[in-house]
Amino acid sequence: MSTQSQTQNRQLHWQRYRYPQSLIQFTLVLLALSALAYSIHFLNIDLQRLLSVFGRVGEVLAERYFPPDLAYISQPGYLQSVIESIQMAYLGAILGMLLAVPLAWFAAWNVTPARRWLYPLARLAIMGSRSVHEMIWTILFVTVLGFGMLPGVCALVMFCIGFAGKLFAEEIEVIDMGQVEAMQANGANPLQTFMYAVWPQVRTAWTGIAIYTWDVAFRAATVVGFFGAGGMGWYLKRNVQQLETERVAAILLSIVLLVLVSELISAWARHRLSRRRAGNQLQNA
Amino acid sequence: MSPLTQTFDHYSQQKRQQQWKHLAILAILLLTLLLSIHSIIIEDTDWQRIGTLEQVLASIGRFAALDFSLIPHLGVPMLETFMMACLGTLLGLFFSLPVAWFGALNVTPSRRLLYPFSRFLMTLSRSIHEMVWALIFVAAVGLGALPGILAIAMRSVGFISKIIAEAIENIDPKPVEAIRAMGGNNFQVMYYGIIPQIKTLVIGTIIFEWDINIRRSAIMGLVGAGGLGLTFFRQMAMYNYGGVTVVILAILTLILLGEIASHYVRKAIN
Repeated sequence: MSTQSQTQNRQLHWQRYRYPQSLIQFTLVLLALSALAYSIHFLNIDLQRLLSVFGRVGEVLAERYFPPDLAYISQPGYLQSVIESIQMAYLGAILGMLLAVPLAWFAAWNVTPARRWLYPLARLAIMGSRSVHEMIWTILFVTVLGFGMLPGVCALVMFCIGFAGKLFAEEIEVIDMGQVEAMQANGANPLQTFMYAVWPQVRTAWTGIAIYTWDVAFRAATVVGFFGAGGMGWYLKRNVQQLETERVAAILLSIVLLVLVSELISAWARHRLSRRRAGNQLQNA
Repeated sequence: MSPLTQTFDHYSQQKRQQQWKHLAILAILLLTLLLSIHSIIIEDTDWQRIGTLEQVLASIGRFAALDFSLIPHLGVPMLETFMMACLGTLLGLFFSLPVAWFGALNVTPSRRLLYPFSRFLMTLSRSIHEMVWALIFVAAVGLGALPGILAIAMRSVGFISKIIAEAIENIDPKPVEAIRAMGGNNFQVMYYGIIPQIKTLVIGTIIFEWDINIRRSAIMGLVGAGGLGLTFFRQMAMYNYGGVTVVILAILTLILLGEIASHYVRKAIN
Protein backbone atom coordinates (compact mmCIF):
# COMPACT_ATOMS: atom_id res chain seq x y z
CA MET A 1 0.00 0.00 0.00
CA SER A 2 1.64 3.19 -1.06
CA THR A 3 0.42 6.59 -2.02
CA GLN A 4 2.39 9.26 -3.73
CA SER A 5 2.09 12.97 -3.34
CA GLN A 6 3.94 15.92 -4.70
CA THR A 7 4.85 18.48 -2.08
CA GLN A 8 6.62 21.52 -3.51
CA ASN A 9 9.44 19.88 -5.43
CA ARG A 10 10.14 16.83 -3.30
CA GLN A 11 8.67 13.43 -4.08
CA LEU A 12 7.25 11.75 -1.01
CA HIS A 13 6.81 7.99 -0.86
CA TRP A 14 4.38 6.91 1.78
CA GLN A 15 4.51 3.40 3.05
CA ARG A 16 3.37 1.43 6.04
CA TYR A 17 6.04 0.33 8.48
CA ARG A 18 6.95 -3.33 7.96
CA TYR A 19 8.26 -5.87 10.48
CA PRO A 20 11.74 -4.80 11.62
CA GLN A 21 10.93 -1.12 11.20
CA SER A 22 7.67 -1.32 13.09
CA LEU A 23 9.42 -2.98 16.03
CA ILE A 24 12.10 -0.26 16.10
CA GLN A 25 9.42 2.40 15.90
CA PHE A 26 7.49 0.80 18.76
CA THR A 27 10.60 0.50 20.93
CA LEU A 28 11.53 4.14 20.32
CA VAL A 29 8.07 5.37 21.28
CA LEU A 30 8.11 3.15 24.39
CA LEU A 31 11.54 4.47 25.38
CA ALA A 32 10.47 8.06 24.88
CA LEU A 33 7.34 7.55 26.96
CA SER A 34 9.20 5.87 29.81
CA ALA A 35 11.82 8.66 29.75
CA LEU A 36 8.95 11.13 29.96
CA ALA A 37 7.36 9.31 32.90
CA TYR A 38 10.70 9.05 34.66
CA SER A 39 11.47 12.75 34.27
CA ILE A 40 8.03 13.69 35.60
CA HIS A 41 8.77 11.48 38.59
CA PHE A 42 12.33 12.79 38.96
CA LEU A 43 11.32 16.44 38.86
CA ASN A 44 8.55 15.71 41.34
CA ILE A 45 5.79 17.24 39.27
CA ASP A 46 2.27 16.98 40.53
CA LEU A 47 0.21 16.35 37.40
CA GLN A 48 -2.99 17.50 39.07
CA ARG A 49 -1.40 20.84 39.71
CA LEU A 50 -0.44 21.01 36.05
CA LEU A 51 -4.07 20.64 35.02
CA SER A 52 -5.26 23.40 37.29
CA VAL A 53 -2.36 25.73 36.61
CA PHE A 54 -4.08 28.05 34.16
CA GLY A 55 -7.05 28.52 36.43
CA ARG A 56 -4.58 29.24 39.20
CA VAL A 57 -2.66 31.76 37.07
CA GLY A 58 -5.91 33.53 36.25
CA GLU A 59 -6.96 33.52 39.87
CA VAL A 60 -3.63 34.88 41.12
CA LEU A 61 -3.56 37.53 38.43
CA ALA A 62 -7.12 38.60 39.20
CA GLU A 63 -6.70 38.55 42.95
CA ARG A 64 -3.28 39.99 43.56
CA TYR A 65 -2.09 41.60 40.37
CA PHE A 66 -5.26 43.45 39.50
CA PRO A 67 -5.63 46.39 39.14
CA PRO A 68 -2.16 47.31 37.82
CA ASP A 69 -0.76 50.38 39.53
CA LEU A 70 -0.66 52.64 36.50
CA ALA A 71 0.24 55.71 38.56
CA TYR A 72 3.51 54.00 39.50
CA ILE A 73 4.67 53.46 35.96
CA SER A 74 3.85 56.99 34.89
CA GLN A 75 6.33 58.44 37.36
CA PRO A 76 9.27 60.26 35.75
CA GLY A 77 11.77 57.89 37.40
CA TYR A 78 10.24 54.87 35.73
CA LEU A 79 9.90 56.61 32.38
CA GLN A 80 13.58 57.51 32.63
CA SER A 81 14.36 53.81 33.10
CA VAL A 82 12.35 52.98 29.98
CA ILE A 83 14.54 55.39 28.02
CA GLU A 84 17.60 53.81 29.64
CA SER A 85 16.46 50.38 28.43
CA ILE A 86 16.03 51.66 24.90
CA GLN A 87 19.45 53.29 24.96
CA MET A 88 21.10 50.15 26.31
CA ALA A 89 19.50 48.02 23.60
CA TYR A 90 20.54 50.54 20.95
CA LEU A 91 24.16 50.84 22.00
CA GLY A 92 24.49 47.12 22.74
CA ALA A 93 23.03 46.13 19.38
CA ILE A 94 25.20 48.57 17.41
CA LEU A 95 28.46 47.66 19.16
CA GLY A 96 27.59 43.96 19.02
CA MET A 97 26.87 44.11 15.32
CA LEU A 98 30.07 46.07 14.62
CA LEU A 99 31.98 43.22 16.27
CA ALA A 100 29.80 40.59 14.60
CA VAL A 101 30.59 41.78 11.07
CA PRO A 102 34.28 40.77 11.03
CA LEU A 103 33.50 37.63 13.04
CA ALA A 104 30.84 36.61 10.53
CA TRP A 105 33.29 37.26 7.72
CA PHE A 106 35.89 35.02 9.36
CA ALA A 107 33.28 32.40 10.27
CA ALA A 108 31.82 31.99 6.77
CA TRP A 109 33.46 28.95 5.23
CA ASN A 110 33.42 30.22 1.65
CA VAL A 111 35.11 33.61 2.14
CA THR A 112 37.09 33.26 5.37
CA PRO A 113 40.65 34.59 4.96
CA ALA A 114 42.22 31.64 6.82
CA ARG A 115 40.37 28.33 6.98
CA ARG A 116 43.00 26.76 9.23
CA TRP A 117 42.89 29.06 12.25
CA LEU A 118 40.65 32.11 11.74
CA TYR A 119 37.58 30.07 10.82
CA PRO A 120 37.44 27.79 13.88
CA LEU A 121 38.39 30.69 16.14
CA ALA A 122 35.58 32.90 14.88
CA ARG A 123 33.13 29.97 15.00
CA LEU A 124 34.11 29.33 18.60
CA ALA A 125 33.69 33.00 19.54
CA ILE A 126 30.21 33.16 18.01
CA MET A 127 29.12 29.84 19.48
CA GLY A 128 30.54 30.68 22.89
CA SER A 129 28.71 33.99 23.13
CA ARG A 130 25.53 32.35 21.85
CA SER A 131 25.63 29.43 24.26
CA VAL A 132 25.76 31.52 27.41
CA HIS A 133 22.38 33.06 28.09
CA GLU A 134 22.21 36.87 28.22
CA MET A 135 21.15 36.74 31.87
CA ILE A 136 24.34 34.90 32.81
CA TRP A 137 26.41 37.42 30.84
CA THR A 138 24.64 40.16 32.77
CA ILE A 139 25.44 38.61 36.14
CA LEU A 140 29.08 38.12 35.17
CA PHE A 141 29.49 41.69 33.92
CA VAL A 142 27.73 43.11 36.97
CA THR A 143 30.16 41.18 39.16
CA VAL A 144 33.14 42.58 37.32
CA LEU A 145 31.99 46.13 36.52
CA GLY A 146 29.51 46.87 39.28
CA PHE A 147 25.89 48.03 38.95
CA GLY A 148 24.84 50.38 36.19
CA MET A 149 24.07 50.51 32.52
CA LEU A 150 27.58 49.64 31.30
CA PRO A 151 27.46 45.94 32.32
CA GLY A 152 24.02 45.72 30.70
CA VAL A 153 25.43 47.10 27.46
CA CYS A 154 28.35 44.66 27.66
CA ALA A 155 25.97 41.73 28.16
CA LEU A 156 23.86 42.85 25.21
CA VAL A 157 27.01 43.20 23.09
CA MET A 158 27.90 39.58 23.84
CA PHE A 159 24.34 38.53 23.08
CA CYS A 160 24.28 40.40 19.77
CA ILE A 161 27.65 38.98 18.69
CA GLY A 162 26.24 35.49 19.06
CA PHE A 163 22.86 36.25 17.57
CA ALA A 164 23.79 38.51 14.66
CA GLY A 165 27.13 36.80 13.99
CA LYS A 166 25.46 33.47 13.28
CA LEU A 167 22.80 34.98 11.01
CA PHE A 168 25.34 37.19 9.20
CA ALA A 169 27.65 34.24 8.56
CA GLU A 170 24.77 32.11 7.27
CA GLU A 171 23.87 34.92 4.88
CA ILE A 172 27.45 35.09 3.57
CA GLU A 173 27.60 31.35 3.01
CA VAL A 174 24.83 31.45 0.38
CA ILE A 175 26.18 34.32 -1.77
CA ASP A 176 27.07 34.03 -5.44
CA MET A 177 30.75 33.04 -5.50
CA GLY A 178 31.32 34.30 -9.06
CA GLN A 179 31.95 37.85 -7.93
CA VAL A 180 34.30 36.69 -5.19
CA GLU A 181 36.29 34.64 -7.69
CA ALA A 182 36.43 37.59 -10.10
CA MET A 183 37.90 39.81 -7.38
CA GLN A 184 40.40 37.15 -6.36
CA ALA A 185 41.42 36.59 -9.98
CA ASN A 186 42.19 40.29 -10.21
CA GLY A 187 44.55 39.98 -7.28
CA ALA A 188 42.38 41.60 -4.62
CA ASN A 189 43.33 41.02 -1.01
CA PRO A 190 40.76 39.47 1.41
CA LEU A 191 39.60 42.89 2.66
CA GLN A 192 39.00 44.16 -0.87
CA THR A 193 37.19 40.94 -1.73
CA PHE A 194 34.96 41.41 1.28
CA MET A 195 34.29 45.07 0.56
CA TYR A 196 33.52 44.77 -3.15
CA ALA A 197 32.30 41.19 -3.66
CA VAL A 198 30.66 40.13 -0.40
CA TRP A 199 29.32 43.32 1.17
CA PRO A 200 27.17 44.46 -1.79
CA GLN A 201 25.54 41.05 -1.96
CA VAL A 202 24.61 40.77 1.71
CA ARG A 203 23.90 44.45 2.44
CA THR A 204 20.12 44.32 2.25
CA ALA A 205 19.78 41.00 4.04
CA TRP A 206 22.08 42.24 6.79
CA THR A 207 19.99 45.38 7.23
CA GLY A 208 16.97 43.18 7.88
CA ILE A 209 18.94 41.07 10.34
CA ALA A 210 20.20 44.24 12.03
CA ILE A 211 16.66 45.51 12.57
CA TYR A 212 15.65 42.11 13.94
CA THR A 213 18.69 42.02 16.22
CA TRP A 214 17.80 45.41 17.65
CA ASP A 215 14.31 44.15 18.33
CA VAL A 216 15.55 41.04 20.13
CA ALA A 217 18.15 43.05 22.04
CA PHE A 218 15.44 45.40 23.28
CA ARG A 219 13.45 42.40 24.50
CA ALA A 220 16.50 41.30 26.48
CA ALA A 221 17.27 44.85 27.65
CA THR A 222 13.91 45.11 29.41
CA VAL A 223 14.95 42.36 31.81
CA VAL A 224 18.75 42.60 32.13
CA GLY A 225 18.15 45.11 34.91
CA PHE A 226 16.77 42.24 36.99
CA PHE A 227 20.35 41.49 38.01
CA GLY A 228 21.43 45.07 38.48
CA ALA A 229 22.20 46.31 35.01
CA GLY A 230 19.95 49.35 34.76
CA GLY A 231 16.71 49.94 32.92
CA MET A 232 13.25 48.66 33.71
CA GLY A 233 14.41 45.31 35.03
CA TRP A 234 15.71 46.93 38.17
CA TYR A 235 12.25 48.28 39.01
CA LEU A 236 10.84 44.83 38.30
CA LYS A 237 13.25 43.16 40.69
CA ARG A 238 12.67 45.66 43.47
CA ASN A 239 8.92 45.33 43.33
CA VAL A 240 8.98 41.56 43.02
CA GLN A 241 11.04 41.34 46.17
CA GLN A 242 8.85 43.80 48.04
CA LEU A 243 5.75 41.83 46.94
CA GLU A 244 4.23 44.99 45.47
CA THR A 245 2.21 42.81 43.14
CA GLU A 246 0.08 45.57 41.64
CA ARG A 247 3.18 47.53 40.69
CA VAL A 248 4.75 44.36 39.25
CA ALA A 249 1.63 43.88 37.15
CA ALA A 250 1.92 47.44 35.84
CA ILE A 251 5.61 46.97 35.01
CA LEU A 252 4.98 43.67 33.24
CA LEU A 253 2.18 45.31 31.30
CA SER A 254 4.46 48.13 30.21
CA ILE A 255 7.20 45.65 29.17
CA VAL A 256 4.76 43.63 27.07
CA LEU A 257 3.37 46.76 25.43
CA LEU A 258 6.80 48.19 24.63
CA VAL A 259 8.04 44.90 23.21
CA LEU A 260 4.91 44.56 21.08
CA VAL A 261 5.40 48.09 19.75
CA SER A 262 9.06 47.44 18.95
CA GLU A 263 8.11 44.16 17.27
CA LEU A 264 5.51 45.95 15.14
CA ILE A 265 8.02 48.62 14.13
CA SER A 266 10.67 46.06 13.26
CA ALA A 267 8.18 43.92 11.32
CA TRP A 268 7.07 46.99 9.39
CA ALA A 269 10.67 48.02 8.62
CA ARG A 270 11.65 44.52 7.54
CA HIS A 271 8.54 44.23 5.40
CA ARG A 272 9.38 47.49 3.61
CA LEU A 273 12.95 46.33 3.16
CA SER A 274 11.98 42.97 1.66
CA ARG A 275 9.54 44.72 -0.69
CA ARG A 276 12.31 47.06 -1.84
CA ARG A 277 14.61 44.08 -2.25
CA ALA A 278 12.07 42.25 -4.39
CA GLY A 279 11.64 45.42 -6.48
CA ASN A 280 15.39 45.72 -7.01
CA GLN A 281 15.66 42.10 -8.04
CA LEU A 282 12.86 42.66 -10.52
CA GLN A 283 14.73 45.65 -11.98
CA ASN A 284 17.97 43.72 -12.26
CA ALA A 285 16.35 40.72 -13.88
CA MET B 1 13.52 66.68 -24.75
CA SER B 2 13.54 63.05 -25.77
CA PRO B 3 11.65 60.50 -23.69
CA LEU B 4 14.92 58.83 -22.81
CA THR B 5 16.46 61.89 -21.15
CA GLN B 6 13.17 62.54 -19.43
CA THR B 7 13.24 59.05 -17.96
CA PHE B 8 16.85 59.52 -16.99
CA ASP B 9 16.10 62.85 -15.28
CA HIS B 10 13.24 61.24 -13.42
CA TYR B 11 15.50 58.36 -12.42
CA SER B 12 18.32 60.57 -11.18
CA GLN B 13 15.90 62.75 -9.27
CA GLN B 14 14.49 59.68 -7.56
CA LYS B 15 17.99 58.47 -6.83
CA ARG B 16 18.91 61.83 -5.27
CA GLN B 17 15.79 61.79 -3.13
CA GLN B 18 16.63 58.31 -1.96
CA GLN B 19 20.16 59.38 -1.08
CA TRP B 20 18.82 62.26 1.00
CA LYS B 21 16.48 59.91 2.79
CA HIS B 22 19.31 57.51 3.57
CA LEU B 23 21.46 60.39 4.79
CA ALA B 24 18.65 61.60 7.06
CA ILE B 25 18.14 58.12 8.53
CA LEU B 26 21.87 57.80 9.08
CA ALA B 27 22.03 61.20 10.79
CA ILE B 28 19.18 60.29 13.14
CA LEU B 29 20.83 56.96 13.97
CA LEU B 30 24.16 58.65 14.68
CA LEU B 31 22.56 61.32 16.85
CA THR B 32 20.74 58.67 18.92
CA LEU B 33 23.97 56.74 19.20
CA LEU B 34 25.85 59.77 20.52
CA LEU B 35 23.06 60.47 23.01
CA SER B 36 23.13 56.87 24.24
CA ILE B 37 26.90 56.91 24.58
CA HIS B 38 26.71 60.16 26.48
CA SER B 39 24.12 58.98 28.97
CA ILE B 40 25.51 55.47 29.44
CA ILE B 41 29.26 55.86 29.42
CA ILE B 42 29.69 59.42 30.66
CA GLU B 43 26.76 60.06 32.97
CA ASP B 44 25.76 56.69 34.34
CA THR B 45 29.04 54.83 34.71
CA ASP B 46 31.00 55.29 37.89
CA TRP B 47 34.53 54.87 36.59
CA GLN B 48 35.94 55.33 40.06
CA ARG B 49 34.09 52.22 41.24
CA ILE B 50 35.34 50.16 38.30
CA GLY B 51 38.89 51.31 38.95
CA THR B 52 41.89 50.75 36.78
CA LEU B 53 42.30 48.09 34.13
CA GLU B 54 44.37 46.02 36.54
CA GLN B 55 41.57 45.92 39.08
CA VAL B 56 39.11 44.81 36.42
CA LEU B 57 41.52 42.12 35.27
CA ALA B 58 42.00 41.04 38.88
CA SER B 59 38.26 40.61 39.35
CA ILE B 60 38.07 38.63 36.11
CA GLY B 61 41.00 36.58 37.37
CA ARG B 62 39.01 35.45 40.39
CA PHE B 63 36.82 33.47 37.99
CA ALA B 64 39.85 31.59 36.70
CA ALA B 65 40.49 29.72 39.95
CA LEU B 66 38.29 26.73 39.05
CA ASP B 67 36.60 24.96 41.93
CA PHE B 68 36.70 21.29 40.93
CA SER B 69 35.18 20.10 44.20
CA LEU B 70 31.81 21.19 42.82
CA ILE B 71 31.81 18.72 39.93
CA PRO B 72 30.25 15.72 41.79
CA HIS B 73 27.31 17.94 42.80
CA LEU B 74 26.56 18.99 39.24
CA GLY B 75 25.11 15.71 37.92
CA VAL B 76 21.61 16.05 39.37
CA PRO B 77 21.13 19.73 38.41
CA MET B 78 22.36 18.97 34.90
CA LEU B 79 19.83 16.16 34.59
CA GLU B 80 17.12 18.45 35.96
CA THR B 81 17.96 21.18 33.47
CA PHE B 82 17.95 18.67 30.64
CA MET B 83 14.58 17.21 31.68
CA MET B 84 13.10 20.66 32.13
CA ALA B 85 14.10 21.53 28.57
CA CYS B 86 12.60 18.29 27.20
CA LEU B 87 9.32 18.55 29.10
CA GLY B 88 9.04 22.26 28.36
CA THR B 89 9.46 21.66 24.65
CA LEU B 90 6.91 18.83 24.66
CA LEU B 91 4.39 20.88 26.61
CA GLY B 92 5.06 23.81 24.28
CA LEU B 93 4.33 21.55 21.31
CA PHE B 94 1.13 20.39 23.00
CA PHE B 95 -0.02 23.98 23.52
CA SER B 96 1.01 25.11 20.07
CA LEU B 97 -1.02 22.50 18.15
CA PRO B 98 -4.39 24.24 18.67
CA VAL B 99 -2.78 27.66 18.23
CA ALA B 100 -1.27 26.57 14.91
CA TRP B 101 -4.55 24.99 13.82
CA PHE B 102 -6.50 28.19 14.54
CA GLY B 103 -3.72 30.36 13.11
CA ALA B 104 -3.39 28.69 9.69
CA LEU B 105 -5.56 30.58 7.24
CA ASN B 106 -6.64 27.53 5.18
CA VAL B 107 -7.85 25.31 8.05
CA THR B 108 -8.86 27.76 10.78
CA PRO B 109 -12.43 27.21 12.02
CA SER B 110 -13.14 30.94 12.10
CA ARG B 111 -11.25 33.53 10.11
CA ARG B 112 -12.92 36.45 11.80
CA LEU B 113 -12.30 35.56 15.42
CA LEU B 114 -9.90 32.70 16.09
CA TYR B 115 -7.35 33.51 13.37
CA PRO B 116 -6.38 37.01 14.62
CA PHE B 117 -6.61 35.82 18.20
CA SER B 118 -4.13 33.00 17.74
CA ARG B 119 -1.83 35.24 15.67
CA PHE B 120 -1.87 37.62 18.64
CA LEU B 121 -1.07 34.74 21.01
CA MET B 122 1.94 33.80 18.86
CA THR B 123 3.34 37.32 19.02
CA LEU B 124 2.60 37.62 22.72
CA SER B 125 4.35 34.36 23.55
CA ARG B 126 7.50 35.41 21.70
CA SER B 127 7.45 38.97 23.03
CA ILE B 128 7.60 38.11 26.70
CA HIS B 129 11.06 37.18 27.90
CA GLU B 130 11.40 33.77 29.55
CA MET B 131 12.40 35.42 32.83
CA VAL B 132 9.08 37.27 32.90
CA TRP B 133 7.14 34.09 32.12
CA ALA B 134 9.04 32.33 34.90
CA LEU B 135 8.22 35.12 37.35
CA ILE B 136 4.52 34.88 36.50
CA PHE B 137 4.46 31.09 36.96
CA VAL B 138 6.55 31.10 40.11
CA ALA B 139 4.01 33.50 41.57
CA ALA B 140 1.16 31.22 40.50
CA VAL B 141 2.36 27.67 41.25
CA GLY B 142 5.23 28.22 43.67
CA LEU B 143 8.86 27.12 43.50
CA GLY B 144 10.06 23.95 41.80
CA ALA B 145 10.58 22.62 38.31
CA LEU B 146 6.95 23.10 37.23
CA PRO B 147 7.05 26.90 36.77
CA GLY B 148 10.27 26.52 34.78
CA ILE B 149 8.69 23.94 32.48
CA LEU B 150 5.62 26.11 32.01
CA ALA B 151 7.71 29.21 31.30
CA ILE B 152 9.75 27.34 28.68
CA ALA B 153 6.57 25.92 27.17
CA MET B 154 4.91 29.32 26.93
CA ARG B 155 7.99 30.87 25.40
CA SER B 156 8.23 28.06 22.82
CA VAL B 157 4.58 28.24 21.75
CA GLY B 158 5.08 31.34 19.62
CA PHE B 159 7.89 29.99 17.46
CA ILE B 160 6.64 26.40 17.10
CA SER B 161 3.06 27.36 16.30
CA LYS B 162 4.15 30.02 13.81
CA ILE B 163 6.26 27.52 11.88
CA ILE B 164 3.54 24.84 12.00
CA ALA B 165 0.87 27.32 10.88
CA GLU B 166 3.01 28.41 7.95
CA ALA B 167 3.66 24.76 7.05
CA ILE B 168 -0.07 24.03 7.12
CA GLU B 169 -0.72 27.02 4.87
CA ASN B 170 1.76 25.64 2.33
CA ILE B 171 0.52 22.03 2.17
CA ASP B 172 -0.67 20.30 -0.94
CA PRO B 173 -4.51 20.56 -0.76
CA LYS B 174 -5.16 17.45 -2.87
CA PRO B 175 -4.93 14.76 -0.13
CA VAL B 176 -7.15 16.94 2.07
CA GLU B 177 -9.76 17.21 -0.68
CA ALA B 178 -9.53 13.49 -1.38
CA ILE B 179 -10.21 12.61 2.23
CA ARG B 180 -13.07 15.13 2.40
CA ALA B 181 -14.53 13.63 -0.78
CA MET B 182 -14.42 10.17 0.77
CA GLY B 183 -16.47 11.52 3.67
CA GLY B 184 -13.68 11.93 6.24
CA ASN B 185 -14.47 14.14 9.22
CA ASN B 186 -12.31 17.04 10.43
CA PHE B 187 -10.18 14.85 12.62
CA GLN B 188 -9.51 12.35 9.86
CA VAL B 189 -8.59 15.17 7.50
CA MET B 190 -6.14 16.43 10.08
CA TYR B 191 -4.66 13.04 10.91
CA TYR B 192 -4.37 11.55 7.41
CA GLY B 193 -4.25 14.64 5.21
CA ILE B 194 -2.30 17.33 7.02
CA ILE B 195 -0.03 15.73 9.63
CA PRO B 196 1.90 13.41 7.26
CA GLN B 197 2.74 16.39 5.07
CA ILE B 198 4.16 18.59 7.81
CA LYS B 199 5.71 15.92 10.04
CA THR B 200 9.33 16.31 8.96
CA LEU B 201 9.30 20.08 9.24
CA VAL B 202 7.62 19.97 12.64
CA ILE B 203 10.17 17.53 14.01
CA GLY B 204 13.02 19.70 12.72
CA THR B 205 11.48 22.77 14.35
CA ILE B 206 11.00 20.98 17.64
CA ILE B 207 14.63 19.90 17.69
CA PHE B 208 15.75 23.46 16.94
CA GLU B 209 13.56 24.83 19.73
CA TRP B 210 14.70 22.11 22.12
CA ASP B 211 18.28 23.17 21.48
CA ILE B 212 17.43 26.75 22.47
CA ASN B 213 15.35 25.56 25.41
CA ILE B 214 18.37 23.90 27.02
CA ARG B 215 19.92 27.37 27.13
CA ARG B 216 16.74 28.80 28.60
CA SER B 217 16.21 26.11 31.21
CA ALA B 218 19.75 26.69 32.47
CA ILE B 219 18.69 30.12 33.78
CA MET B 220 15.28 29.20 35.16
CA GLY B 221 16.89 28.51 38.53
CA LEU B 222 17.74 32.20 38.90
CA VAL B 223 14.11 32.95 39.75
CA GLY B 224 13.50 29.77 41.75
CA ALA B 225 12.81 26.99 39.26
CA GLY B 226 15.61 24.51 39.96
CA GLY B 227 18.33 23.10 37.73
CA LEU B 228 21.77 24.46 36.96
CA GLY B 229 20.57 28.05 37.36
CA LEU B 230 19.95 27.43 41.04
CA THR B 231 23.47 26.04 41.50
CA PHE B 232 24.82 29.05 39.62
CA PHE B 233 22.85 31.40 41.84
CA ARG B 234 24.08 29.69 45.03
CA GLN B 235 27.72 29.82 43.94
CA MET B 236 27.26 33.49 43.10
CA ALA B 237 25.67 34.18 46.48
CA MET B 238 28.63 32.50 48.21
CA TYR B 239 31.06 34.59 46.13
CA ASN B 240 32.62 31.32 45.02
CA TYR B 241 33.70 32.61 41.61
CA GLY B 242 35.65 29.46 40.73
CA GLY B 243 32.46 27.48 41.26
CA VAL B 244 30.56 29.91 39.02
CA THR B 245 32.97 29.21 36.18
CA VAL B 246 32.56 25.46 36.71
CA VAL B 247 28.76 25.80 36.52
CA ILE B 248 29.07 27.80 33.30
CA LEU B 249 31.33 25.09 31.89
CA ALA B 250 28.69 22.53 32.86
CA ILE B 251 26.04 24.56 31.00
CA LEU B 252 28.30 24.74 27.96
CA THR B 253 28.84 20.96 28.10
CA LEU B 254 25.10 20.37 28.22
CA ILE B 255 24.52 22.71 25.28
CA LEU B 256 27.30 21.04 23.31
CA LEU B 257 25.74 17.61 23.95
CA GLY B 258 22.38 18.98 22.87
CA GLU B 259 23.88 20.41 19.71
CA ILE B 260 25.57 17.10 18.83
CA ALA B 261 22.35 15.17 19.53
CA SER B 262 20.24 17.54 17.43
CA HIS B 263 22.77 17.31 14.59
CA TYR B 264 22.47 13.52 14.47
CA VAL B 265 18.69 13.46 14.86
CA ARG B 266 18.32 15.99 12.05
CA LYS B 267 20.58 13.85 9.88
CA ALA B 268 18.52 10.76 10.68
CA ILE B 269 15.30 12.50 9.64
CA ASN B 270 16.54 13.73 6.29
